[in-house]
Order: sequence, then structure tokens, then C-alpha cells
Amino acid sequence: MNRGRRIPARAAAVTVSLMAVLWLVPVLGLVVTALRPADQIAASGWWRAPFATQTTTALRTAGAGVQGPGDTGFVIEGGLLSPRARLQAWGLTARAPQAHAPGDSVALSGGRALTVDAEGRYRLTAPGPFTDPRGQRIFVTTATPPRLTLDNLTRVTGAEGLGRALANTLAVAIPATALPILIAAFAAHALAGMRFAGRGLVLAAIIGLMVVPPQLALIPLLSLHNALGLGKGYGSVWLAHTGFGLPLAIFVLRSAMAAVPRDILDAARLDGASELRILWGIVLPLCLPAVAGFAALQFLWVWNDLLVATVFLGNTPGQQVLSGHLRALMGARGGEWHILAAAALVSLAVPVAVFATLQRPLRRALAAGAEPRC
Amino acid sequence: MVRVAGIAALVCACAAQPMVAQDLVFTPGEDPRFDWASYRALAQTDLSGQQLTIQGPWLGPDKAAFESVVAYFRAATGAEVVYAGSDSFEQQIVIDTEAGSPPDIAIFPQPGLAADLARRGHLRPLPPAMADWLAETYAAGESWVDLASYPGPDGIGRLYALPYRADLKSLVWYVPENLAEAGYAPPDTFEALQDLTRALAADGATPWCIGLGSGGATGWPATDWVEDLMLRLYPVSVYDAWVGHALRFDDPKVIAAIEGFGWFARTPAFVTGGPVAVAATDFRDSPHGLFTAPPHCYLHRQASFIPAFFPDGVEIGQDVDFFYFPAPAGRADQPVLGSGTLFALMSDAPAGRAFLGFLQSPLAHEIWMAQQGFLTPHKGVNPDLYGDPALRKMAKILQSATVFRFDGSDLMPGAIGTGAFWTGMIDYVGGKDAAAVAGQIQRVWDSLD
Amino acid sequence: MGIWSRLAWLRPWLFLAPAAVFLIVYGGWPVAGTIWRSLHQGDDAAWVGLAHYAWLWADPGFVRALANTALWLVVVPALTTALGLMAAHLSDGLRWGGLARAAIFLPTAISFTGAAVIWKFVYDYRGGDQMQVGLLNALRVWLGAEPLAWLSLPVWNSLLLMAVLIWAQTGFAMVILHAALRAIPPQIIEAAHLDGAGPWRLFWQIRLPQIRGALAVVWTAITIMVLKVFDIVHVMTNGQWGTQVLATQVHDWLFRGVPDYGRGSAVAVVLMALVLPLMLRNLWSARARR
Repeated sequence: MNRGRRIPARAAAVTVSLMAVLWLVPVLGLVVTALRPADQIAASGWWRAPFATQTTTALRTAGAGVQGPGDTGFVIEGGLLSPRARLQAWGLTARAPQAHAPGDSVALSGGRALTVDAEGRYRLTAPGPFTDPRGQRIFVTTATPPRLTLDNLTRVTGAEGLGRALANTLAVAIPATALPILIAAFAAHALAGMRFAGRGLVLAAIIGLMVVPPQLALIPLLSLHNALGLGKGYGSVWLAHTGFGLPLAIFVLRSAMAAVPRDILDAARLDGASELRILWGIVLPLCLPAVAGFAALQFLWVWNDLLVATVFLGNTPGQQVLSGHLRALMGARGGEWHILAAAALVSLAVPVAVFATLQRPLRRALAAGAEPRC
Repeated sequence: MVRVAGIAALVCACAAQPMVAQDLVFTPGEDPRFDWASYRALAQTDLSGQQLTIQGPWLGPDKAAFESVVAYFRAATGAEVVYAGSDSFEQQIVIDTEAGSPPDIAIFPQPGLAADLARRGHLRPLPPAMADWLAETYAAGESWVDLASYPGPDGIGRLYALPYRADLKSLVWYVPENLAEAGYAPPDTFEALQDLTRALAADGATPWCIGLGSGGATGWPATDWVEDLMLRLYPVSVYDAWVGHALRFDDPKVIAAIEGFGWFARTPAFVTGGPVAVAATDFRDSPHGLFTAPPHCYLHRQASFIPAFFPDGVEIGQDVDFFYFPAPAGRADQPVLGSGTLFALMSDAPAGRAFLGFLQSPLAHEIWMAQQGFLTPHKGVNPDLYGDPALRKMAKILQSATVFRFDGSDLMPGAIGTGAFWTGMIDYVGGKDAAAVAGQIQRVWDSLD
Repeated sequence: MGIWSRLAWLRPWLFLAPAAVFLIVYGGWPVAGTIWRSLHQGDDAAWVGLAHYAWLWADPGFVRALANTALWLVVVPALTTALGLMAAHLSDGLRWGGLARAAIFLPTAISFTGAAVIWKFVYDYRGGDQMQVGLLNALRVWLGAEPLAWLSLPVWNSLLLMAVLIWAQTGFAMVILHAALRAIPPQIIEAAHLDGAGPWRLFWQIRLPQIRGALAVVWTAITIMVLKVFDIVHVMTNGQWGTQVLATQVHDWLFRGVPDYGRGSAVAVVLMALVLPLMLRNLWSARARR
């Protein structure tokens, strides 16, 4: 609406698109990595996924078990490549893996001879019978067409218990997002809209509490929950997330509420509105953007959390949240990048879906917040 | 289309929820190679309605295999067993124990934390008879008893855990055809290994792939190297003194062992990518250099679990093989470095004791042996049941070890074995002086006592 | 009515009460426990006074972590807020601004595990003539330079780890600041525009002062995230090559091998002390508003 009064539009467009691309490129890397076959992930960079790659791999002919009689002795025949692949070069030693061209016939020890054609069909001949059950090793260099696969994703989504883990995570995340907002709204209103002694001190204490490292709080809090008979369970994990998220919630909401002009509140009070009415009817609607912003943040934090959920809910198959479920798919020593990437993508899907669905109400909330307040 | 499939997958996953008791992978009584007698004996114990919770570090395939073992216990006794695996097991067990809600059984990947929990009175001592049984039934049994015995809250040493499942560390992996092509054979002495390293480098090849990266545990593979060298350069008593802090970390002997590792890892011509790559390469990516053409390296020293990170389709025994990291010429004993997981009781639940009893039976070992990635020092099992020839060969090294020693860094205090030692080795590979690194580690150790 | 007005002083505290219960139980109590533990022996709870702090001060690892944390505290909140503000302001007038904002916000939704995978394939280093699978090194090789082991280059590696957090949190800063910018009453902008203010002056002298509150919120929130940043460092370097920060030290003392609550708590107390300036600033600004 007020274009032209800003920084020149073209410079803005260039800067913003540059930023968007810079921020998106790593995400694109994740998406592509999740879609690549496991062996290619370690072999070439993800940005090479759309190109055919030249790969050299060691393969084997069949062993002595499949030999048949030939014109002048014994023969082992077979194919090395999948139908679509084309052989570019082949070789017999690791040091010269591309020594021969397709169609070459090469003499081996003991009067044996080997030929490999462009389709990867080989013919190994010998004057006498083959004895080695292990086949002849052949290095083949092929142009591998680009290949993306849903294998990683199906392995992650197909694993037993994903639905349960999703349900568990939602059962944790929704109350653990709503509860701190509810409690924080009252506190923030007191801190922003009421005058009382000690306000600054309370606020400073809340900021101080935001930085408590959760690792230190876990043991005393779990013992407390055990002592209260809460033990491990949904109630326990809701309370824990609320406790950890509350300081930031109060802080964010208070600063948004502090921007609500005083005279509005004072006018409402003169009209005899109760503080509850003022909070629900005036302040909160005006602060919806801040509420939405914090809700998104808290939801994401709870969604991606593993530590708090494992400690306060548990880690058995029935209790596992999505992040724990996805971790459990990996070996104890980790490092399965394809599974990690697919798992990260799956856990990203739900928040993105939630935000996409809530986009309209969210935007309306933001627009409402943008309306003039005086 | 994709989205529809995804939703269908979700629906299926939900529908399949009522968890069906896992089927037994090998039907009891069917294959005579298994020790089914112990299964029938176990079935005498009725634990129906009892619950047993187990916490451990195993995830993925390990978790699946362990649960397949647990299924026999469940089927025979009727007990309900719930296993929860976590890749931050150490953190979970400390929190749960301190907060007063420990599991019935904990599976410790390292003895250090088990010893600490025993000293604080969180572990239940096991009967002395089990220690005798271990000493008798496990190969190098006394060293297993030592590994699982700790001073309790009263300061008296007792057996607190049952070792189950071992890893073998002193292995060098290689591609037989590549080594033969280069004109060499696997060495049988430490000197021959050094000669092989020099010879390969002189031919213009790179002998070793070494990677120390490991995410939140970066640095540990180097500690295995130093331990293997400590075991090879000196008598076992020196190793024990070093691990128990009777020998200072900055002793010239230890410095020499660190430099022995440096001979391999810090000589630019001996290792793929030079020393910079050693510290920066992930240990899980490191063995890939064996399989490239032309090969990036010919040798890779790593524990028995590493095949899980080989490229798809690589067959042990055919495409890749291993030899024992050899001892110096003229040495009478064959020192072997390894590690083991420890099962400890954290409650008085009768099902817990029964479960440890089950783990003593050959069957509990054989079920996992016949699958993947499991080694046991149990002498009563049928070695024919190992799922592949490579495991059988490893089991032979394990069973015939005259000297078996555990990963020293696991036995040192955490601030050393999983802290200063790791950092020191990263610094050393980065170019810092061995004596300076050892001195730094010693200073941290001094400050702990 | 009489009772109500006499009890009016109680009203704010009533509103604060539910939050206070949570704050005391989930914040105050652990803090008190941490301070207590930092003054006692981890094992037998014997009083040791400031011995843990003295020990830490002499520990090069701790000093290094403190210095790194200070660097993080300077670089990350500043850059994240600045980039978030830039994205929020510049995208506002663009037709596809919403799309750009969605792109920048997306990383906020990615778990730290996911972020670790993503950035492994940016910083990865392969020795010798192997094909680089890390984006940065592939670029270097493409430009004809030697690849670098980024994460083992001191100081640079800390900055590269900071880039991960900045990448992940700019979206958060942008969303909050965008909402604040949109909330500025248009009349104010209109008036300044009529006075002949150009886009730069409008931004620096009109808009910026109007969103001071939101800037403080963002800065504070990011500062707190920085103090707690643990996963990124732990997963990507394990604190090696001099990248350790205070939060990884807390974790190492508590959960690596045998726990040492005394020293771990002492590090945590230092960590909490680092927010004191923020607390005082807020205390001061709350007083000033009164």
C-alpha cells in the first residue's frame, strides 16, 4: 500500500530473493538427500542428483557353479548390468579399472579369456573346467542415469508404529502449546496492564528463568513428578513443557501487551469492565500476532523435542513420540544419512501442513493485529 | 499419488496398532543345533502377568535382534517385557535413576557408569555363584568377571552385571583381491604390518583409511588405536596399570604408544587425505575408501561392527576380509582388545532375575548369533550357528584370546575416557606434540582425584 | 465494593499466581538446586564453597567454552535480528513477499537432527582427490582451490556452527518483526512521508523506534537460545577443535561417563549469570515505563 516510500523496490526484490534462495538451498539439499539411494548419498554431492554420474564399481561373474560346455572348453556367461545401463569401460584390476573398452577380449591366466560387451554381457572361457566358486571380479564403469527413489521415505513411513507415534506427538504438542499460552496470558496482562510494586523484579526473574538449562532441571522435576504420583505420562510431559515454555511465553506476550495503548484499558476500566473482560475482550485480540508467533514457536519446539518427551513420557514403543520413533529407526551408531534425511523430512511435513492449513486464520490474526490501535 | 500412498501408509500403521506378540524367529524344537533344552527348562518358570522393563542403547537392527531374543523369554515364561532403546541411554538412565524411576534392567554399553551406579547403591548385587559361572563359562572368564564387578555402597566388591554380547576391536579390514594385486599378503606380525604400510606407500598407493569423526563422540576411534598399541608394545600389566591410573598418562610408555598411532595417522603418505582428513572424516564414511576403484586405501582398522557401514552388496569373506591386528614378532601371547555390554538389575522384580538366568543359557546367545552382528564369549554355545563365516572367524579370535582386555577408555573416568582422551587425540592428529597432549590429559586426570 | 477496592492490590498477584506456581516449581526450584549443587561435592554433598568455580577458572576447556559462548552471544543475536529485520521489511512491499517469508521461515521447523544432516552436506570434507559431497568444498574445488576441513579450522568452525543457528532462527525473528512492522499505525508513516522523509530516514527514524519492543523481544529470545545451544555443537563437532560452549560443558559434566553434578552445576550457574545484563536491562526499562 505504501510502495515507493520504501527502499527502491528492485534492490529489495534482489535482496529478498537472494535470502530466500540462500535459506532454501540447504532445505532443498535435505529433500534431495532423502530421495536419493543410500549409496549415492556418500558418493556424490546432492546437487549432482539430476545428472547422470559415471560410476566405477566392482562386480563379479558367476562362479564355477554355473559353467557350461563351450566350443573348445568351458564357458561362464551372464550379464553384469541392469537393462538401461551402458558400459563405458571395464577392467580387471583395482588400479586400472578402466583398462578395456566394451567388446574387448582379454586373456587371463591359465588360458582363460574374458570379453564384456556394451550391454554388460560377459563371456568367460577356459580350456578346462572352472573350480573357483567365487566369480571373476570385473570393474565396470557405467553412466548411471539420475535416479531418485521413495525407498527411504517408505522405509521411514512404513515402519510399524508411525501412526501411534504421530498420535502421541500430537497428544503431547497440542496441550503443551495451549497450556503455557493460557497461563502466560494472565501473567503477561498483570505485568503489562496493571500497576503494582515489584513488577520489574518479577519480569527480571522471568527472564533469568528462561536460561535454566533443561538438563539440570530434569532430575529434580522428574523426582517431583514421581513423588506427586504423576510418574511418566501425558500429564507429566504437558506440565514439563509448560514449565519450560512459560517464561518465554510470558515475555513475548507481555511485550506485545505493553504496546496496547493505556487509554484503551483505562477507558474500559472506567466503564466497569472486569480485568478478565479486558484481557479476553480487548488485550488478547489485539495481541493475536504475538500469540500466534509464540504458539508456532512452542509447537515446533515441542514437536521436535526428544529429551523432555523421553524423560517425562517414556521411550517404550507405546509412549514414543515422533522424534523418538524416527531415532529408533537408526542403528545405535547413527550415520545412516538417508534414513536421517527421510526422517527429518517426515517430521517436517506435519508442521508445514499445520502452518499451511492455519495460514488463512493466521494471516487474518496478523491483519487484525495490524489495525490501528488508537 | 505419492500423497495418497503416504496417507495409506499412515492408516495402515494405525490399524496395525494392537501389538501382536512377536513371532519366534526359529521355531522351538525344530533346528537341533539350538539348545532347546534351556527353552524347555525356562518354560517351567511361570511369570505370567509380571512386567519387566529394560532400558538400553540398542536401536534399529540391534533392537530388532534383541527383541527377537526377548520374545523367547516372553513366550516361555509369559512375562511382559518392554524394551526401550535410546541413543542417549547414559543420560536417560542417570535421570531415571536419580529421579527414582529406574527400569528393572539396564544394559550398559560401558562399565564406567555401571560402576558409579553400583557405588551409589542403585544396582542389585548378583549372586557370587554367577561370578563363578562367568569365570568358568566365558572365554577369558576372569577378565569378564573383573569387568562386571564393582565396589558397592559399602566399598566391598561384588558382581553387579552380566556381560552379554561382545565386540572385537583388534581387526584390520582389507579387500583380498586388491592386496593380492598389489603383490602383498596379510601380515602376521606388527613389524610386517609396518613393512606393508611402507611398501604400499613406496608403490605410490595409500595404505590406510582412518576416520575419527563420530558426531557427539568424535575422537573415540583414535583411543582404540592407542589401546591396541599399548597392548602390543608392552606386557598386559602395563596396560592394566595405565587404565587403572597406576601408570601416569604422560609416562614415556604412553607417549610412545600415541606416537605409534601417529606413525600411521600422521605420516601424510600413509593415510588417505593426510592427517587433516583423519580428524575430519566420519568413522562411518571412512571404510568406503577400501571399495573405490582405484582404491583410496588398502587397510582399515576397526571393530567387528563396521560391516554395517560397508557399501551395499559387499560380502565378507569374498569382497572384503579381515585379519587380527598382529602382535610384534616373538610375543608369546595374543592380546585382543574388545568390549561388551553389561546387563544389570535395578529392581528386585523376580522377572529380572529370571531374565538374567535366561541370558546365561546358550539359547539366548544362539538366537542372536544365528542372525546378524553378535559375538559371544560363552563357551557353551554351538559355534556352527553363527549367521555368517566372518562372525565364526571373529568368534575364533575371541575364544582363543589368551589375553582379552576391554576398551581402556571405557574403564577410565568419563572426563578422561570420553572427554580429554578424545580431545587430546584430535589435537594430536591436528599436529600437537604427543607429550603435550599426554600432559594435558594427565592434568585433567589429576584434577579429578 | 469496599472489600474489592481494599483488595485491589491483590489483583495482579491473582493473575500472576498460576504462572508463579509453574515458575517457582519448574524454574526457581531447579535454579536453587543448581546453585546449591555447585557449592557442594557431587558425591557426598559435602560443602566445598567456591572450589568448583576455582577449578573451572583454571580449566582451559572451560575458559575456552566461556570465550566461545561470548563470541556466540555477540554474533548470533545481532546477525539473526538484523537479517530477520531485513527480510521482514524488504519483503513487505513485494507481491511474492509471503512466499519469500515462507522460505526463510521453513528452517525454523526443522529439527536439530535434520539440521545436522543438512549442514553435514554443506561442510563435509573429503581428503585427497575424492569427490567432495560438501557444498562449500565442491564450490572451492570448482573454483580451483583446495578443499578445506572447515570444522577443524579454529574460530572459523565456531562461526560456521553459528551460521546453522542463524539460518534456523532468522525465520523466527522475521515473523515477530514483520508483525511489529505491520502494526505501526499508517498515520505515523503517512505524516513522516508528507514531511518529505525518504525511505532510509523513514526506516531508521520512524519504523525502527516504533518496533523497539519487538526488537528487544527477538534479541532476548535469540540470546537465550544461544546460551542453550547445545545440539548443534554436540552433533557437528562434539566440541572438538576448540568449538565447545558452556551448554556442551554442562552436558559433558552431567551425562558423559560418571556424572559430576558439582562442576556441571557450577558451569550452569555461570551460564545463567550471563543473562544478568539482559535481566537488568529489562528491569531498568520496566522501571522507566512506570
